[in-house]
Amino acid sequence: MITREMAWRVFAAEFNASRLEIKGEGDKAPSHLVTPLGAAINRIFVVGVLTDIDNIGSEEEPMWRARIQDPTGTFYLSSGQYQPEATAALSKIQPPKFVAVVGKTRTYSPEEGTMYVSIRPEKVRIVDAAVRDLWVLETCKATIKRIEALKEAKEMSQPTAEALVKLGFNQTLADGVIKAMDHYGEVDLQRYKESVIDSLKYLLPETQGGLTVHEEVSDMPEEIEDEPEESIDKEKVVLQFVETLDKTGKGAPWDDIVKAAEKANIARDELDEITNSLLDKGLVYEPALGRMKII
Amino acid sequence: MDKNEIAPHVKEIARVLEGKVEESKIEEELENYLNVYRVSLDTAKRSVVKGFGGDPNALNKSGGRRKVTDIKGGEASVDILAKVITVNPKEIPASDGKPARQIVYGIIADESGSIAYTVWDPQRFQMRPGDVVMLRNCYTHEYNGRVDLTLGNRATLEQMPKDSLQNIEMSAPVSSSAGGPAKVSELADGMNSVSITGRIISVERREVPTEDGTKVVFSGLFEDETGRVQYSAWHDFELKPKEIVRISRGYVKSWKGVPKFNFGEKASVTRLTLDDVPDLGSGKLKPRTILDIERIGGATDALVSGTIIDVKEGSGLIRRCPQCKRVVQKGACRIHGKVDGAPDLRVKAVLDDGESTLTIVMNRSVTESVLALTLDDCVRQAQEAMTTDVIKDIAEDKILAKPFMVRGNVLSDEYGLMMIVSEASPVEIDVKEEATKLLADLEGFQ
Repeated sequence: MITREMAWRVFAAEFNASRLEIKGEGDKAPSHLVTPLGAAINRIFVVGVLTDIDNIGSEEEPMWRARIQDPTGTFYLSSGQYQPEATAALSKIQPPKFVAVVGKTRTYSPEEGTMYVSIRPEKVRIVDAAVRDLWVLETCKATIKRIEALKEAKEMSQPTAEALVKLGFNQTLADGVIKAMDHYGEVDLQRYKESVIDSLKYLLPETQGGLTVHEEVSDMPEEIEDEPEESIDKEKVVLQFVETLDKTGKGAPWDDIVKAAEKANIARDELDEITNSLLDKGLVYEPALGRMKII
Repeated sequence: MDKNEIAPHVKEIARVLEGKVEESKIEEELENYLNVYRVSLDTAKRSVVKGFGGDPNALNKSGGRRKVTDIKGGEASVDILAKVITVNPKEIPASDGKPARQIVYGIIADESGSIAYTVWDPQRFQMRPGDVVMLRNCYTHEYNGRVDLTLGNRATLEQMPKDSLQNIEMSAPVSSSAGGPAKVSELADGMNSVSITGRIISVERREVPTEDGTKVVFSGLFEDETGRVQYSAWHDFELKPKEIVRISRGYVKSWKGVPKFNFGEKASVTRLTLDDVPDLGSGKLKPRTILDIERIGGATDALVSGTIIDVKEGSGLIRRCPQCKRVVQKGACRIHGKVDGAPDLRVKAVLDDGESTLTIVMNRSVTESVLALTLDDCVRQAQEAMTTDVIKDIAEDKILAKPFMVRGNVLSDEYGLMMIVSEASPVEIDVKEEATKLLADLEGFQ
């Protein structure tokens, strides 16, 4: 039976940390990219913010590169003439937009030990924030399931896929988890759990720590002085700089942001940290080198 | 090759020649072929049998009796000793100029398990349930992961003493566990002596022609709390819709992966009330996972939820040939050439729940309800846009990347599972509520 490969729901942080590719044996056998949590991905389903897109090919032979952000990081997309449907769709999209992407995994290993992963899209479609939120929720659930499976496997003296299936995990995941354990050794489950928690908070902007794109800084109560809130406060400040200094619509020049930050008593290294955090959270992006724009 | 090695082959040739030729003569002849002419063993044996006027096809090529569970698909010559469990006559209707023909199918078993068989020429093979038979030169094929045995024109059947096969556990067929009570969602092809408890949804009386004259069959839908199944009763149990019953000693046959529950005279039907089966509930269908249906190979009237991750080519506004209903491409029907196609709507899509995938096909009425547009609306919009692509685009906009609950019959073929959708609706999920719950769970464990 030639069955269609199912589409995994995996966050960018987990996807990009993948370093194990299992090539299919024989003609047309599918390859799978195994993530540290044991998702064995041939096809992936992603919904996020398409932040920038470039045609690095030519008019006749286009090769579109795009970046899609989720609450944990960035997915990289590349689509050329052999993906006519996705390429046509991408060429019409003006970032930033919420997009849903179904695609296949691609890997690139310039040298032993390094691996870059990306998505070759089959389908790209503009969607709304509600669809994105649903995907984040679903991906949280799927990630939790993988964390649980890996945790169970770690507690076994002789972890096997059969034993995991007996515990109620499906065969595909059980096989993937065992392969991941063999290859990645000790995986920091707590880190992935925290990224799930962060992503859930991202869906619940009213909980502490959750930032949303549309919140105005002036709406924040000014009395908040608590230490842990400070960095979030400063994030708000920087976020506002990025927004207000963007006079042209092409993004705020980095130099202007640095100057504004200095005046607000935010040191340079602190600013770097804050902008990295904002980039990670998917609240800002770099439309071009030296420019930063709010999503 | 020395005498000891030759001996079993001599015996085999003697069997094929039905004792008409002395073994010493056979041995002499076989040695001649092998040691003087140095041909291969198979050729030698065939030549000897032929030389003495026997049927070389009756020779056993694979060498000895096999166990049912060892048999794989695509084998050309299989010998097994087995007990006949069921014998079902069936008529294949005439088609493509070929006349209608009678065949027989059923299940045979040995101590390792059971296997489905088909007999293409029932005149040559007389067998009854309970017979122990030696079958030679059968061939096999695999369909949906199940191996079937066929008795073609090369096959032979030999009745054996009943005690030549012992310890047959009919409760352990190859394809599934069987026997005793089962839930509808667990029913799988080849199960025997199964009992199910639930509600009769519909009953229809039909007359079907069989080899032994016309038979009356009562068929319809049956449900329990896990799902629905089509049933056929080959005996009048006076079943009525809405009745709650326990049906014992039925068996399961699948068609295109969809399990069907059959029962006949040997079965018993016990009338129950809702108090006996409180789980049955009001008859509201419960969703099933795609993996769950995949294990069985199909389902009747199943409810499945997932995200639509692809809308296939050929979805949207299409035109069909007025004569054969085939889809018209570029104004021409594959069979009838240039035709004025009648407009129709359909959507072929892929539903994916993160564990497995299901192809879904929506007909006009389901598509109309999902798009909230009538066929006429779509025809008008396509005319305005001067392309039918606009309708596929609308369909993608409505369903792609969105969660849906679909309902229908699920079949399987070599491309996997496919549902013919009878109802489809978007799933409303309160993201914030679910995220809050999940967050509380996670932080609770920290």
